[in-house]
Amino acid sequence: MLALTAAGIVLAASGAAPLTLASQVIKSTFGSSFGLEDVGLLLTPLILTGLAVSIALKIGAWNIGAEGQFYAGAFAATGIGLFIPGPTVVILPLMFVGGALGGVIWILIPTLAKAYANVSELITTLLLNFVGVLLAYYVATGPWLDPGGHALGTTARVRHEVPEFWGTVHWGFPLAILLTVVVAGLLNFTRWGYEVRIAGSNPQAAKYAGMPFRRHLITVMLLSGAIAGIAGMLEIAGTVHRLQGGISNNFGYLGIMVAVLARGSALGVMAGAALMAVILNSGIILQTQGLNTSTVLAITGLILFFTAIGDELAHYRIVRSEPTA
Amino acid sequence: MNAIPKTSPARPRGTPPVVLLKGICKYFPGVVANQDVDLEVWAGEIHALLGENGAGKSTLMNILTGIYTQDAGEIIIDGYAQSFTSPVEAIAAGIGMVHQHFKLVKAFTVAENIHLGWSETPAKISPEKLESRTAELAASLNLAVKPAAQVEDLSTGEQQRVEILRVLARQARVLILDEPTAVLTPAEARELFRALREFVSRGNAVIFISHKLDEVLEISDRISVLRGGRKVTTEETRNCSQKMLAKLMVGHEIVLNDLRGRGAGAVPISADAVLRLDEVRALDDLGNVALNGVSLDIRAGEILGIAGVAGNGQKELSQVLTGMRPICSGNILVNGHDVGAANAGEFAGFGVGHIPEDRLHSGLAPALSVTDNAVIREYGRAPVSLGRWFRPRAAIALARSIAEAAAVSVPDFTMPVRNLSGGNQQRLVARREMRIADKLLVAAYPSRGLDVGAINTMMRYFVELRDAGVGVILISEELEELLNLSDRIAVMFHGEIMGIVETASTGIEQIGMLMGGQRAAAPRLEPASI
Amino acid sequence: MEIIAGLLQTSILAGGVLALAALGEVLAERVGVVNLGVEGLMALGAITAIATVIATPSPALGFVCALGVGFFVGMIFAGATVVLRANQVLCGLALTLMGTGLAATIGKAYSGMPAPATFAPVAIPYLSDIPLIGRAIFAQNILVYLIYIVLPLVLHLVMFRTRHGLNLRAVGENPAAADAAGIPVQKFRFWYVTAGSSLAAGAGAYLTLAFVPSWSEGVVAGRGWIAVALVIFAGYRPVNAVLAALLFGCITSLGFVGQARNWPIAAPILSMLPYLGTIALIIVPVLAWHRVRRLMAAPASLGEPYYRDVR
Repeated sequence: MLALTAAGIVLAASGAAPLTLASQVIKSTFGSSFGLEDVGLLLTPLILTGLAVSIALKIGAWNIGAEGQFYAGAFAATGIGLFIPGPTVVILPLMFVGGALGGVIWILIPTLAKAYANVSELITTLLLNFVGVLLAYYVATGPWLDPGGHALGTTARVRHEVPEFWGTVHWGFPLAILLTVVVAGLLNFTRWGYEVRIAGSNPQAAKYAGMPFRRHLITVMLLSGAIAGIAGMLEIAGTVHRLQGGISNNFGYLGIMVAVLARGSALGVMAGAALMAVILNSGIILQTQGLNTSTVLAITGLILFFTAIGDELAHYRIVRSEPTA
Repeated sequence: MNAIPKTSPARPRGTPPVVLLKGICKYFPGVVANQDVDLEVWAGEIHALLGENGAGKSTLMNILTGIYTQDAGEIIIDGYAQSFTSPVEAIAAGIGMVHQHFKLVKAFTVAENIHLGWSETPAKISPEKLESRTAELAASLNLAVKPAAQVEDLSTGEQQRVEILRVLARQARVLILDEPTAVLTPAEARELFRALREFVSRGNAVIFISHKLDEVLEISDRISVLRGGRKVTTEETRNCSQKMLAKLMVGHEIVLNDLRGRGAGAVPISADAVLRLDEVRALDDLGNVALNGVSLDIRAGEILGIAGVAGNGQKELSQVLTGMRPICSGNILVNGHDVGAANAGEFAGFGVGHIPEDRLHSGLAPALSVTDNAVIREYGRAPVSLGRWFRPRAAIALARSIAEAAAVSVPDFTMPVRNLSGGNQQRLVARREMRIADKLLVAAYPSRGLDVGAINTMMRYFVELRDAGVGVILISEELEELLNLSDRIAVMFHGEIMGIVETASTGIEQIGMLMGGQRAAAPRLEPASI
Repeated sequence: MEIIAGLLQTSILAGGVLALAALGEVLAERVGVVNLGVEGLMALGAITAIATVIATPSPALGFVCALGVGFFVGMIFAGATVVLRANQVLCGLALTLMGTGLAATIGKAYSGMPAPATFAPVAIPYLSDIPLIGRAIFAQNILVYLIYIVLPLVLHLVMFRTRHGLNLRAVGENPAAADAAGIPVQKFRFWYVTAGSSLAAGAGAYLTLAFVPSWSEGVVAGRGWIAVALVIFAGYRPVNAVLAALLFGCITSLGFVGQARNWPIAAPILSMLPYLGTIALIIVPVLAWHRVRRLMAAPASLGEPYYRDVR
């Protein structure tokens, strides 16, 4: 709550009237099916990147590299989509696998570094973000540049598309929800999931119970990368259909926000992603008013900041007033 | 006992005590650490503070040194009332403390540690300057240290000397030592005592916190005994004996509640050992030898107590016994099978339960739910798991039955387990482990941080297990507990077993001696055949 | 041969950004606080500097204003992490998002405008006449001298040769010991984190006043993160940090040279070099042998908030 008020203050400070803006946003978002469709399109990548970061957190790792893995997945998917001949029915699943693999490869080195050398995954995954963006930019302006010459800095249109399921929202959306449910199921209804949860919460306890911490760490982190890669693939195959330098609206970083807000619950991921999607969409709508997505980013950061502080204060109170036996 | 030389010099009449504590009270959530404690320490005396763990000695000293602030009571130094809101003020008033867990920066050299936060350190420093100053200081105070060595590399005895030097350099008039000899060899302890006597002969005072009755009798002029947060008495040392002090420390309940007797249905002690350690050597986390050729055995239906001041290898022993720490040499045999290479999960599979020393650190995942924590041992088998599938409902049912057996009322099984009180957590862990312990239960300091009621419950659990034919290894600092429960007691000192005695035929004095590092005169128990 | 001189010159110039940011982060991490908001602070410093210099053509004022903004924001961050003891990682990430976003918002108006006045090179007499390397090293702008020579030396001397520095390092290694020795742990942490943030913002100012020199969204391009990684690689020592930054400046300028001379490697690939290089270098210290590892080890209490009254 505090964070939203602060956000309002920031908006006001930047010269726009918060309340009129808010009403405009609400009208645009919820008043028309276009608005809801836009939110729906944003939801797919956000749910997936949020899921990716969330699941890494379950084993105690910070996957800040979702952005790079997103691009890696998009890259792989585009490559397959443009250069491997075949019917859509065959190529699309191949792209899906490619996207997942792309994400896995992108997180592989940070994973191994953490598992075997105890190197902070936070920085390694993050640095690869920049490399990922550069990779996409490179191929989009270089070797894979659209020969039709319609626009600079984009690949040709990938003709294999994920079919639409409601308006412009494609089947990637229910797929994202499905994946979230599946992951939640794995975490809560399998032995593996139980071990992962224990290990992530307290590695010492995992050792006490004889669980293989390192194996779980690697598996979960690779899974996290895969999911972020799938997000990239779906964005290519479902929404933008071309690879270029800026297809991600900071989905990777916003995914971190989603994961933090979600506090580890599947429902939380979806709710958090919904909130982020609305905020992001508002940013896009408000672009016409002179604000831009960067402000959205700033506000997101503000919310994160207050969440972090609030978390600590709440915990402090609980510890201070421990119930007696 | 040798007659102690009286060290206090003649004092002009009317000189106030160096330290006077009046009515000190300190409370923590759920625990009374100090209640109405009075203490008087005079110039020229070595004053011992005696008490079991949790009696409030460390808390009292933390208040005197400014780390904690008292909830009630006064601190009067040299006749003037003082209130310390931070360690700096206490240091300025001449109070210096050498803590049980040294406050040294491991990555720094000895010289750097000495000069830390010291107003006399010159503004511009260099390693050579610091080291030569340190050497001078050490010479003048007659304490041998190596100024250029990194603290990380020093033995605990050497580290302690550095701590003492650091405190003395600040012109401390009152030197407080918290369990100093726990980490010293007998020779080093002699050195320390000599230095202390020299110190007080110059008109200073020493407060000596200890567990060890013989040392306290040897070094001190007067003794104050704390128990349960209150002061029981202050006596002149020459009027005291070990027996009398033991009784004061532990209270008169010491011989009541003798739980060693068996009822009619109890399974008798087996002839064969359920678990056996043979000349086991193991290293601690820093790579030093923690267990140095430990041999012991435990039979079904018996309780073996492990006595000794904490830090003599007990933690590593409990880890070796449960597969959490690998051994360097020697054998571990469970029912005759060598299990040296097994991990903790496999040990649990053999039927070895483990109530760890620090339950929040290793035995529980504090942020996870009560249910998740309750099933950590049995999650892999039916009914909680069927094949790969984990069934939350079955898990909750199991958690419920464990909570019921532990008599813990859990309002919400999904809440983080850290929200439960310490006593509830411990009982939960105990019953959880008891379910899988069909051969052996290893309990490390199970009553730490618990109130009397919870402790009694723990005791009853162990008796229950014992009567059912399971072996119990009980590691504890509370002699009372060990004497009440154990059939045999093994005493640990510096990673070795000093002796294993039959409880029925032994007494506190003998155990105290073993704890102090003297080996048992009688030969060790012959190994039972397996 | 001019290539080498040119390379050297550009390396020094490019490395300056990283060096200043890294020095700031060394300060923070040496007292035990990991500040992941460097990227955001750099963005804020960058925009403040360019805005100031466009309004009043004084680069010095721009730089100082950036330092001030960094100081102010640093206090907020320190307040959250040191006083309120909130999770340092989360707060740092939040700061990066806020800083980058805010700077980009304000920066819309200034995008692409070149700085009307920048820090001009100041040639040191005699030294700059040395053939080949003279111009490269000794005819740089004043900030370079500050960052590469003055600041690291001062910081090194303070940290390792003064009583104050001893106490500072103790706070990062073992705050409980420092506290017991009478050192004001929270004060040290608060002010050094703030100072470090100030320097980070200064690095951003350097970017838009001396290196690029103009603003565009994304001008920081992850340099803040590289700086954080550099600190680890440099073993948390000021002089090493600056040398490591120089190394990275080298890698970056290789990229420029490659582009200018139409090497067969595409521009974006060359731009990847700094990031890939950082990852490689961050893994190296772990593989080093024990003695070196000890010298380069992180302050033992890095990342943990300090509570005095903990049972």
